[in-house]
Amino acid sequence: MSHAAKRRIGTAFRYTFLSAVSLLSIFPLYWMAVASTNRTVDILRGTLIPGTEFLNNLRFLLEGQNITGAMRNSFVNAASTTLAALVICSLAGYGFEVYHTKNNDRMKIVLLTAMMIPFATTMIPLFRMFAQMGLLNATLAVILPSISTPFLIMLFRQSTRSFPHDIIEAARLDGLNEISIFFRMFIPTMRPTYAAAMTITFMGAWNNFLWPRVIIMNNEMMTMPMLVANLTAGYVTNYGVLMLAVLLSTIPTVIVFFLLQKSFAEGITGAVKG
Amino acid sequence: MKKFIAATLVLALVFALAACDTPATGGDAGDAGSKLTVWCWDPAFNLFAMEEAAKVYKQINPGFELDIVEIGWDDLQTNLITIAMSGQLQALPDIFLVQNNAFQKNVMNYPELFADLTDFSVPYHQFGPSVVAYSTIGGRNFGVPFDNGAAVAAYRLDILEEAGYTLEDFTDITWDTYIEQAKDILAKTGKPLLSGGAGDMDLICILLQSMGASFFDADGNPDIVGNEYISLAFDVYVQLVSNGLMVEVNSWDEYIGTFNNGIVAGVINGCWILGSVQQADDQFGLWGITNLPKFSNVSGATHYSANGGSSWAVASSSSNVDLAVDFLTQTFGGSIEFYENILFAAGALANWLPAGESDVYNEPQPFFRDVPIYALITEFAGLIPSNYTGVYYYEARDAIGNAIVLVLAGADKDEALKDAEDTLRFWMMQ
Repeated sequence: MSHAAKRRIGTAFRYTFLSAVSLLSIFPLYWMAVASTNRTVDILRGTLIPGTEFLNNLRFLLEGQNITGAMRNSFVNAASTTLAALVICSLAGYGFEVYHTKNNDRMKIVLLTAMMIPFATTMIPLFRMFAQMGLLNATLAVILPSISTPFLIMLFRQSTRSFPHDIIEAARLDGLNEISIFFRMFIPTMRPTYAAAMTITFMGAWNNFLWPRVIIMNNEMMTMPMLVANLTAGYVTNYGVLMLAVLLSTIPTVIVFFLLQKSFAEGITGAVKG
Repeated sequence: MKKFIAATLVLALVFALAACDTPATGGDAGDAGSKLTVWCWDPAFNLFAMEEAAKVYKQINPGFELDIVEIGWDDLQTNLITIAMSGQLQALPDIFLVQNNAFQKNVMNYPELFADLTDFSVPYHQFGPSVVAYSTIGGRNFGVPFDNGAAVAAYRLDILEEAGYTLEDFTDITWDTYIEQAKDILAKTGKPLLSGGAGDMDLICILLQSMGASFFDADGNPDIVGNEYISLAFDVYVQLVSNGLMVEVNSWDEYIGTFNNGIVAGVINGCWILGSVQQADDQFGLWGITNLPKFSNVSGATHYSANGGSSWAVASSSSNVDLAVDFLTQTFGGSIEFYENILFAAGALANWLPAGESDVYNEPQPFFRDVPIYALITEFAGLIPSNYTGVYYYEARDAIGNAIVLVLAGADKDEALKDAEDTLRFWMMQ
């Protein structure tokens, strides 16, 4: 067999393998989309062909559930959490690295330890705190616990390491004050890190379920994950409607991910745009 | 860039301010004179019933208002625990729905959450004794029964007929006869009579309650080793599975699929399962329901049992306990009109026995070959033996579930039950 033929076979094999794996990972998404156009009975009978029930399922969602409200609430929660988290955590991470002291290192250990505490253990004291502050059923109560996370602070701290300190020195010499250096030199340079942090935070906030479910006790402020959970809590589950709600709930995170995909990879690997 | 940063900060500020503006109404609406807040799940069923109850009650109390919050049982349970542990009882609604099997556990663990309804005028004698027992702890009543969990045996009549049987052949029978006939039907039609989740405890629990038996003795101690009832229930279960008379599946969806797709010829479960049975409109007129097979030669054995069901609880923190109890009493415990309204629209069946006498309950149901199934189920509901659920009911279910899987895999029954009791005692820290 010639060399070229061997290579062709190799390529063919590689493509077949990759196609099979892609199909495998896309299948659940396909199934979800197909299920959103079918009736429960057909879904349980294992249909894999798009059906004709999409509009009925959509009507059921619009009429039976506060889906527009839930989308809006989820968006407001996720967007404000993301904005606040980016500002606060990047400032903290930047400060840790640039104004380095011994106490900072001790603080870092405390932060790393905090990363290991599962949320379930802090939920009850947190609930008590917010209830006493009169913040039950308040958007602020949903946002506040997740705007400063050890993970994000560490992410920003790590990436600040790759930020050339010469730039800071040069800026100081040019007469910029410390806050301006952060906003005018650091943020524009660290865009990929911000993109990565934004993707992670937005997805986390959008999908956040346990805390909002505990602190929000009315239908008007329900978020998408809460709505999806309610759809599965009935005695008879309408799988078509459920899958449509899951599909709708996935779209915003997919959009955010694809928009920031390139920067996300760069940000995670810690690249600096010069 | 400057503009971008400014815009970002302004946006963040706006969001924060918007968040601050949100009124903290809290879960309880107690301050309003005749407004109640309710937590429950399932819009087509419990929420619908609550809305209808509010309409009926408005005729008596025109200023009455009801705010219903939709929340699944698992999440409701999480919230109850969070509220109880943090001591922030003001976050509770006025009324909330509790699964019957979890009622005793919650009252025993968090008695401060529940208002004692014993001295109010709830007509407990008009409910089946077994459903009242779920929310009775130490002789005190803490709930108003609502959702009927009476167990039914439903059969595909066309498949029975194909094998030469009728519904009468499956009415008032024993488990021995059932297994005999099921084998015959499997041989003639290739269809098993039952299905269930592998390791799922629904059927075992139905079997146990049909004998009034429990995993615990009257003092709440595990009573598994040497419990003749559990042993009998295991024997029936093992016979059903090992003879291929019962198909074991892995998920709830698959379970529904087994009868929607005509893989099995029957169902035994709480009457709420009929909602899923009726989803398959191509099986219209092919189903019939009757009572359960019973254990022969067992004292206290009956043809009746239950699976699930739920009851309304009133929060002790409510500033409107009187109104909340009166509302529940006048509707769920006193209005035939209300039960008629929710029957067809939601398929919600009464535990309140006088409703069974209503004309609407006695109307023939075409899906079930014109049998008035609702009156029939209400009649079943009055005959169910009660059993002890206690604090560790779900833990016991899990332990026994493991045991049945082991026994089916060939382990010795007595040893598996001994292990189950040891595990349960460990969980109970005994």
